[in-house]
Amino acid sequence: MRKFRLVAPFMTAVLVLTACGNGDGGDDGDADVPEGDGEITVTSLWGGTEQEAFEAVLAAFEEESGITATYESQRTEYASFLRNRIQGGNPPDVAIIPGIGTLRSLARDGSLISISELGIAQSDIEGNYAPGILDVGVVDDELYGIMVKLNSKSTIFYSPERFAEMGVEPAETWDDLVALTESIKEAGSTPWALGAQDSWTLTDWFEITYLKMHGTEAYDTLFSPDGDWTDETVTATIDKMLEILNEENIEGGVDGSLATLFVAAIGKVFSTSPSAELYYGGGFVGGIATGADVNPDLAGQEGEAIDWFGFPTIDGNGEGLVTYGGDVMAALVNDSDVAAFMEYLTTADAGQVWAEGGTIISPIVDVDTGVYPTVLIQAEADQVTSAEAVRFDGSDLLPGTDLGAVLQSALRGEDMGPILEEFQTATSTAWENE
Amino acid sequence: MTALQDTTVQAPPRTASERLARFVGKSPVHIILGIIALLWLVPTIGLLITSFRPGADMRATGWWNVIVEPRFTLANYERVLTNEGMGQAFLNSLFITVPSTILPLLVASMAAFALAWVKFPFRDTVFLTIVAMLIVPVQVGFIPLVVAMRESGMPLLTTYAGAWLAHTAFALPFGIFLLRNFFITLPKDLIEAARIDGASNWAIFRTIVVPLSVPAIAAYGIFQFLWVWNDLLMALIYVQRTTLQPMTYQVTTLLGTYATEWSLLSAAAFLVMVVPLVVFISLQRYFVQGLLAGSVK
Amino acid sequence: MTAENPPVAVSTTATASKGGGGFSWAALFFLAPAALLLLVFLLFPTVYTIALSFNRGRAGEFTEWTGLDNWIRLFTEDPNFLRLGFPPSGALWNNVLWLVFYVSLVVLAGLIIAVMATRVRYEAWIKAIVFLPQAIAATSLAVIWSFVYAPDRNTGLMNAVLGIADIGPVALLGNPSTVNWALIAVGIWGSVGFATVILSAAIKGISSEVLEAARVDGANETQIFWRIIVPMVSLPIAVVAVTLVVNVIKLFDLIFVMTQGGPGTSSRVIAFSMYQDAFRQGQYGYGAAIAVVMVVLLLPVMIFNVRRFRAEAVQQ
Repeated sequence: MRKFRLVAPFMTAVLVLTACGNGDGGDDGDADVPEGDGEITVTSLWGGTEQEAFEAVLAAFEEESGITATYESQRTEYASFLRNRIQGGNPPDVAIIPGIGTLRSLARDGSLISISELGIAQSDIEGNYAPGILDVGVVDDELYGIMVKLNSKSTIFYSPERFAEMGVEPAETWDDLVALTESIKEAGSTPWALGAQDSWTLTDWFEITYLKMHGTEAYDTLFSPDGDWTDETVTATIDKMLEILNEENIEGGVDGSLATLFVAAIGKVFSTSPSAELYYGGGFVGGIATGADVNPDLAGQEGEAIDWFGFPTIDGNGEGLVTYGGDVMAALVNDSDVAAFMEYLTTADAGQVWAEGGTIISPIVDVDTGVYPTVLIQAEADQVTSAEAVRFDGSDLLPGTDLGAVLQSALRGEDMGPILEEFQTATSTAWENE
Repeated sequence: MTALQDTTVQAPPRTASERLARFVGKSPVHIILGIIALLWLVPTIGLLITSFRPGADMRATGWWNVIVEPRFTLANYERVLTNEGMGQAFLNSLFITVPSTILPLLVASMAAFALAWVKFPFRDTVFLTIVAMLIVPVQVGFIPLVVAMRESGMPLLTTYAGAWLAHTAFALPFGIFLLRNFFITLPKDLIEAARIDGASNWAIFRTIVVPLSVPAIAAYGIFQFLWVWNDLLMALIYVQRTTLQPMTYQVTTLLGTYATEWSLLSAAAFLVMVVPLVVFISLQRYFVQGLLAGSVK
Repeated sequence: MTAENPPVAVSTTATASKGGGGFSWAALFFLAPAALLLLVFLLFPTVYTIALSFNRGRAGEFTEWTGLDNWIRLFTEDPNFLRLGFPPSGALWNNVLWLVFYVSLVVLAGLIIAVMATRVRYEAWIKAIVFLPQAIAATSLAVIWSFVYAPDRNTGLMNAVLGIADIGPVALLGNPSTVNWALIAVGIWGSVGFATVILSAAIKGISSEVLEAARVDGANETQIFWRIIVPMVSLPIAVVAVTLVVNVIKLFDLIFVMTQGGPGTSSRVIAFSMYQDAFRQGQYGYGAAIAVVMVVLLLPVMIFNVRRFRAEAVQQ
């Protein structure tokens, strides 16, 4: 553990010097990386505590390299903001992008600088990441986006105290989960909270259920241009979801959940006057539940008043499979400062500073899980690193069609046949036109 | 209220009982109009009251409860002005709107003057073309103009300059139309006399036409001011620095961040409304006259 | 909603409307700034956008000729824009809904309020109250009404009122089958004042003798309204209607702030689709095609305006 403190800065210095001094570019290319002017701007859509945690990383970078990195927060209209700035000739230097569809589109527009163009060799940084993580940012065989943070999306949150009162326990299989749902109802409480107005909560449900039921290959195919949304695996998954997500099991019923945003739904389980017992979501739920928006009194009670268990296996399938969500960073301007910054973020040092902020899980393997501030996040990091296979949030891979809206219709009990057909047409058209 | 005040078309009642009978006879009208007044006032008032209510109250009960439990605070406004950027956004709105009102006034009145009082070939065709351009939506401008502004090499997108120019340009067809149609109603003899006396066109413009056209120019100015102040889309596209964004943009950001924090949202929404409401109420006469000049012969 | 383009003025006592005469430096001087701005900011972009609609338009530039592909896709393969079926749906269809209901109801309400207001002493106040929303930004309108529609009895006025009759709570904005009506209602609320003021002035222009004569002949108020008032103000009605039509085609702010075209894409309108496809999805050529559709839809309005001007000019 100790030696990291020395190795990391040393490595960074070496990397920075290599990047700066190497006029002929790195291993992979002939990239002639122009000199930077000592300042870069980085944008993402974070605010609040996420922004603070990230700005600590920027400060650490400035200390290491002398380059000033300024953060610009763009909380709404992120994709159009990026495109507009690119079109307008004043793009940010580095952009952190949550949707891979946007990444692909921008890369194909020629608006992004590939990692090799920056003088960074992919082989140099590959070792820092678990297999498959860097592939998410590859467009047409070129690496453009490097994963900078992630959250598990295989966590179901609950209150251990209330579980003890009701005499129930977390579930490990789907059937157990259904039984748990029933037991909670018998104990007089409402089982599930769902923020279906934020339709991405439904896509999260869909993705983890699909992955567990049908495995990694089917998952990869579905979220690719070859995907077939009219396939029976899709309808089987939706039906499975609806076994739990229905009028009797959701707080507020279907209509109520469709009018509830995700933070409010988290509040239904964890606020001072809870009305539900289970919330499925990403690992970031813990931070939100113990934060100012829901119930700050819970902070420090992780493990007692708030905890999570992993999404169950389904009919014996899906052990060790985890879905996760994350953001990738991409370069929009080619200069040595940008290269230095991107490289810094691939180091365990940067990952550690960021991890200490408690808002993210770092994808960098060498970050010691002990630095995460709460047991919930540590467990989450363990879940991701020890998973048998991880799969990126599928709806963020799609080329802009709205899976969430389709699932909202499913929740409402609409006839999915024509809806899925239309979705298939729209999605395949969108893949073609990207 | 004078602009909207008009005499009714019936003979006034004489005795008190006649008045009463008249009132009762019209009571369905009164009731309906009363309902209409409520419908048009209550939503806005509800938001206003909410902006002054403590957040905890807002979460617990409806704003109508202030009738029984009046509790007010300025905390929402304070927070929105300092922490959430509305203070800066207010200044930004001012910086965008004022030039975007003055420039079109100048450019449109000059063009309108030429179209009204200067003889030149194809004048009618030029005017017709401008009439045709009234319908051009701002959407056709976005893609080409951002690219053009970038290629120009001038800092049009990183300052307000691009927005000023775009707002001015899109305001011209209506302005030229309105002002030209007003200018031609000015007394021909006055202008002819000035010409005979050797006055230049600029002198005629400056000393005769403009002073006599204050109502029309004021009306146009007010329209334009309201339009730019309340605009969202042009700012989204042509102002490419987050720190320069006007209040309308800031409110949408807040909506994204604080979806149901009505205390904050209402305060922000009201801050956007304050200046237009003041302008509108105090200069309402011109506004209405401008509208009417446009439509009724 | 603020009328972006208040109704077009018509020349009345034009005296110097005819052109002619020799070339004039003065004319050039006075017209140059406007001409320059109009050419650069309106004409050039219109041409560029039309051309871009036949192109892929990556990053807004002419990168790859696609011919009619965008157009075919727009009208036949994009259910978010137009889905012909029973019932039809899509952004274009939503604009049609707005055209039919918003325009007719605003005109009707405007007329009725104008007529009723003439009977009372507080007429000016009524008109002012109804007209007030014209000064309010669409952004703020969206906040006001999202608040009214809030799906919670303790927050949203509408559900509180419905709650008295023990109905609901209903989430109008969250339900695809009600969202468009909820939005149209807001649009009507914002525009009735505009119609009222203009039509009120027009109604004042009707000579009271005609009205008195009709009353003497035994006509009741409804008959007077439909048989006398409405026909006599048909031109101002047309002008108001045309302005409202333009509002509908250009409708963006309200949808953008209140629902983002949602739930899903059920409340989209074409101006929103243009923004979404061009600026969020980066499909600039496709978005350009939508912008051209907007212009094409507005052409009838342009013809109406030009004809009116010409008709007036002829009368001199």
